[in-house]
Amino acid sequence: MRQLSILILLIVFTASAAHAQKRYDEIKYPELNKFDKAKVETFQLDNGISFFVVEDNELPLIRISVTAYGGSILEPADKAGLASITGQVMREGGSQNYPSDELNLLLENKAASMSSFFGFGSAGASMSILAEDLDELLPVFVDFVQNPLFPEEKIELAKTQNKSGISRRNDDQSSIAGREFSKLIYGEETPYTQQTEYATIDNITRDDMIELHKNAFVGNNLMIGVIGDFKTKDIRKKVEAAFSSIPAGQKTNIIYPEVDYEYRSTINLVDKPDVNQSYVVLGHIGGLRSNPDYAALQLMNDILSGGFSGRLAQVVRSDLGLAYAVGGSYSSNRNYPGRFTLTVMTKSETTAQAIDAIIGEVGRMQDEPVTSDELMDAKDRFLNALIFRYDTKGKILNEQINIAYNGSDPNEFDKFVEDVKAVTVEDIQRVAQKYLQPDAMQILVVGNKEEIGDQLDKYGNINEMDVTIPTPEVETDNTTGDAEVGSAMLSSMANAIVSEGTNVKTLNVKGSQTLVTPQGNFNLGTDITINYEELSLKGIINSPQGEITITIQDGNGTQALGGQEYPMPPAQVKQQTDAIQSSYMYIALNAETMSAEYLGDEEIDGAAYALVRVNAETPFTLVLNKDSFLPIEKRSSVFNPQTGGQVEVIEKFSNWTAVSGVTYAYSEMTLQDGQKASENTVSEHSVVE
Amino acid sequence: MRVFKLIGVSMITVLACLLTVDHSQAQNLKEFEKKVTEFTLENGMHFIIIERHDAPVASFYTHVGVGGANEPVGQTGIAHIFEHMAFKGSHYIGTTDWESEKEVIANMDEAYKEWLYAKFNPGTSDEELAEKRAAFEALQDEAKTYVVNNEFSEIVDRNGGTGMNASTSWDYTDYFYSLPSNKAELWFNLEADRFKNPTFREFYVEKEVVREERRMRTESSPIGRLVEEFLAVAYTAHPYGRALVGWNSDITATTIEDAKDFYNTYYVPSNITVAIAGDVKPKDMKKFAEEYFGDIPAGELVPPVTTVEPEQRGERRFTIEGNTQPFMLIGYHAVSDSDPDYEALTLLGNILSAGRTSVLYKRLVEEEQLALQVQAFNGFPQTQFPSLFITFIVPNLGVDADTVEALVYEEFEKAKQGSITQDELDRAITNAKANLIRGLGNNLGLAINFAGTQASKGDWRDLFRSIERLEAVTLDDLQRVANQYLTKQTRTVGMTVKTDS
Repeated sequence: MRQLSILILLIVFTASAAHAQKRYDEIKYPELNKFDKAKVETFQLDNGISFFVVEDNELPLIRISVTAYGGSILEPADKAGLASITGQVMREGGSQNYPSDELNLLLENKAASMSSFFGFGSAGASMSILAEDLDELLPVFVDFVQNPLFPEEKIELAKTQNKSGISRRNDDQSSIAGREFSKLIYGEETPYTQQTEYATIDNITRDDMIELHKNAFVGNNLMIGVIGDFKTKDIRKKVEAAFSSIPAGQKTNIIYPEVDYEYRSTINLVDKPDVNQSYVVLGHIGGLRSNPDYAALQLMNDILSGGFSGRLAQVVRSDLGLAYAVGGSYSSNRNYPGRFTLTVMTKSETTAQAIDAIIGEVGRMQDEPVTSDELMDAKDRFLNALIFRYDTKGKILNEQINIAYNGSDPNEFDKFVEDVKAVTVEDIQRVAQKYLQPDAMQILVVGNKEEIGDQLDKYGNINEMDVTIPTPEVETDNTTGDAEVGSAMLSSMANAIVSEGTNVKTLNVKGSQTLVTPQGNFNLGTDITINYEELSLKGIINSPQGEITITIQDGNGTQALGGQEYPMPPAQVKQQTDAIQSSYMYIALNAETMSAEYLGDEEIDGAAYALVRVNAETPFTLVLNKDSFLPIEKRSSVFNPQTGGQVEVIEKFSNWTAVSGVTYAYSEMTLQDGQKASENTVSEHSVVE
Repeated sequence: MRVFKLIGVSMITVLACLLTVDHSQAQNLKEFEKKVTEFTLENGMHFIIIERHDAPVASFYTHVGVGGANEPVGQTGIAHIFEHMAFKGSHYIGTTDWESEKEVIANMDEAYKEWLYAKFNPGTSDEELAEKRAAFEALQDEAKTYVVNNEFSEIVDRNGGTGMNASTSWDYTDYFYSLPSNKAELWFNLEADRFKNPTFREFYVEKEVVREERRMRTESSPIGRLVEEFLAVAYTAHPYGRALVGWNSDITATTIEDAKDFYNTYYVPSNITVAIAGDVKPKDMKKFAEEYFGDIPAGELVPPVTTVEPEQRGERRFTIEGNTQPFMLIGYHAVSDSDPDYEALTLLGNILSAGRTSVLYKRLVEEEQLALQVQAFNGFPQTQFPSLFITFIVPNLGVDADTVEALVYEEFEKAKQGSITQDELDRAITNAKANLIRGLGNNLGLAINFAGTQASKGDWRDLFRSIERLEAVTLDDLQRVANQYLTKQTRTVGMTVKTDS
């Protein structure tokens, strides 16, 4: 009877729901179709190369990829960028039998591609071709791998391109954040954070590249994967013959330096005034793959921050609507500790709110056990998707090569699956307590400082990170001159410019300036007042766009145009204050404290002039008239961030005019690398009381 | 992190083409016809099943013929907001009590509208506005109490679903993920449920998520800012000129009622194409399709986009200022993908800039070293309507964008004089064909290509026929289209200018 009534209920339910479809949890699934995992055939050549071969006859394509031990971890710090440029020029420069242009034409005529790279801890080359072109292109690939030309012109091209890349590296928030956060974790000067700079690129030579390549692409250091439309028996003969010419050499031993991490709580900011969203990364050091808690940590991480189902996405994105992108990972590397990072991108105004929400979730992982449903769901997500680890032959091949490359246990993954199944709710809380430190998080915000305001103050003393791109060191003229004579000449110059007894702190200069640009000449009216003691400036410039007012005071600057005021970027403020400090007026007022050397005379138009080098932060040389001690030229070498190179700047002074004790050059012309860049004409100057 | 991506700078340059060099199109098509089963439900919904039995998995792909181009004036971004809504569940997924929740959502939307209208009424006092906002927020908080967070995606995830995502573009919106193939019915069940029973749950919170997406992709990204402005300048009337993610104020102005209207108009069976590729049986798929989607009413025909971009009467140039290194975009008004000149323009773009043997790469990147990257291609931002032939320039350090620009024009002029050789044309065709082979080697790639072609051309076989059209392009065609379309009068040029120093 009882059974019957249930049956009746069911019938009634079904009838009333005629149009509603069944619930997803009422579906009965058939068994998963059985399938045979692709077999990988492996063999080794006498020269040490290990091959991994898989047939895949679905499409008429073949792909061969070479993996080598090597990479940027091996490059010297002063040549950062060497590995990556080597990988680039290996391809761009072509090989002995197939120089660049020929190689490119041959490949593109056949819709084929070849590539090469040097990564952080590995290097490699690969070829992707139509199966019918194998016989013709296999020898080309071997030549490409074995005999790259590294021609000078392609090296120069790669260097230019890499410098362009450096100049653009602060344009994008995420690249700043990734880079700078790594420095907070691993330290500034480690192979894990080594940064390519203009100077390190200049240090790289062709010999360095040849050496790096020669050590990497030798038999004992290589693994080669072959996949595609062929018969294994046939391809084996072909690749054996083709790659036997590669010398055996030595396997490269990569040593990963220890990471000595001290847990600490920090708050760091990179100011980027042109964004309205903060890119926030927070976290601390992560772990090693060999940690017995690895499986529990992976599940813990998945519950906390894995994709859409993770708590961070649920709370920060779906509940609070604070972010589109939020997530994180507790990463565990094989050879050195990974990082525990949580990332969110949120509008400037909600920066702290998002940080607090994230730290709160980290704390909750420690304070409360996760629910058994959460853990079961996390396990299901992993276990039910396992089939996708093996659903293509390419993935199976790659896994085999990875196992061989890392020298890891072939059953490592199966063991990991068993470990995952065994993880308990208590394990999750235990590893959260043991490995996470919500009270010792490093926080990095890349965002708009002004919009963020004082939100970050509560996290501690803000460390404002300087991401200015370093300019290459100038080859300084090391000849030493006579310091005593130099100082004497400098004070003679000072007396010539500011006559004794004149008290000058602030000077106003009015006049006009002509700027020479590729778009033509621009004429500007200038009215500039400089306080040489405080290094402050007020300039009124009449430009074709209207009147621009520039103000620099206490290290900050603003520009105003048409009633609108804009902050001046710090780099530009520094440029202006540097310019003030290297002006002849500043030197004249501070001659006693400056170090100068007399370098000898130079003959110009039949007269002898004294060369005096002033050893300022960026040294420059003054050319002094030996009678009046007024400078006729100032010569300096400055870095141009637009070109990534040094520019020789010569300022020529003439038409010296004395007014109330101050002698000022009423004509000034600036040459950059011999080209006229600007011309100034002064109409009046006066000492401001 | 899973993201719902917008195809912003859409490089869907699947120029069709497959086929190895020694196979004829007809043979390849025949091969594929053996693996493909298609059927249309009575309500007009079309299905393409591509059998691929290598591994017990399958990819499921829903293509809806609606995108940014269909949005009403004042509601830019609504196609994208709806896409986000499709992940919020149904009448029993994602809720503790739909019947009650439904009422609160309806009241919340009314309250929002009251606030919105008041906000734009100059007579509203600050207090009134704050009151209305508070009333709306109270209802929003109440609605939240019924929500079971992210239940929809959680169901997919724990059943082994991978790669779940969706994208919105100007021409279409698509939704996709892969499952172990024995779970095929789950996809039918969930997909039918979410499109038959949309709830607009968490609508207003999700708009804030979308606003963060806008900040990330557009407002805080130098290229994003340039592209949005560029399209707005190049198109004065056609919706390709509007912000795909939505103008900020439009995101604010869009209500649930608007989104419902939009959904009711465009998410009709005849406007939806499904492709399933993998280890599945067509017979089972048909049975599931009828069971789960067969009861959706056919609905009205989808209204066409009727706005046509007027003729451009002279070059348009603009700059945007920012503290970044320079980029430049140059675009010429050209054609849609159904125009006979489409393939010639596509090949022209490839010959000029695809690969290391291309004209612009060789000269500007390799020889004169003026550019880090120069990319010319046809069909921007998308191809259903007349679009742009565009060139993207990234100058090298110390090089002005306009220096590179002048040389790009020089090369365009040479092409107009007939400088392109038959070898270059042959090479471009060969590579275009091979690209497709490479795109059809996986379940999702197959599903995307077949459903997309079916939806836009009425027949997935056009993917193979377009090869014939590519092969028919002659040097005369290249010279003719270069002269006809690459004219100063129809050109728009935009660049970023570094304001710092």
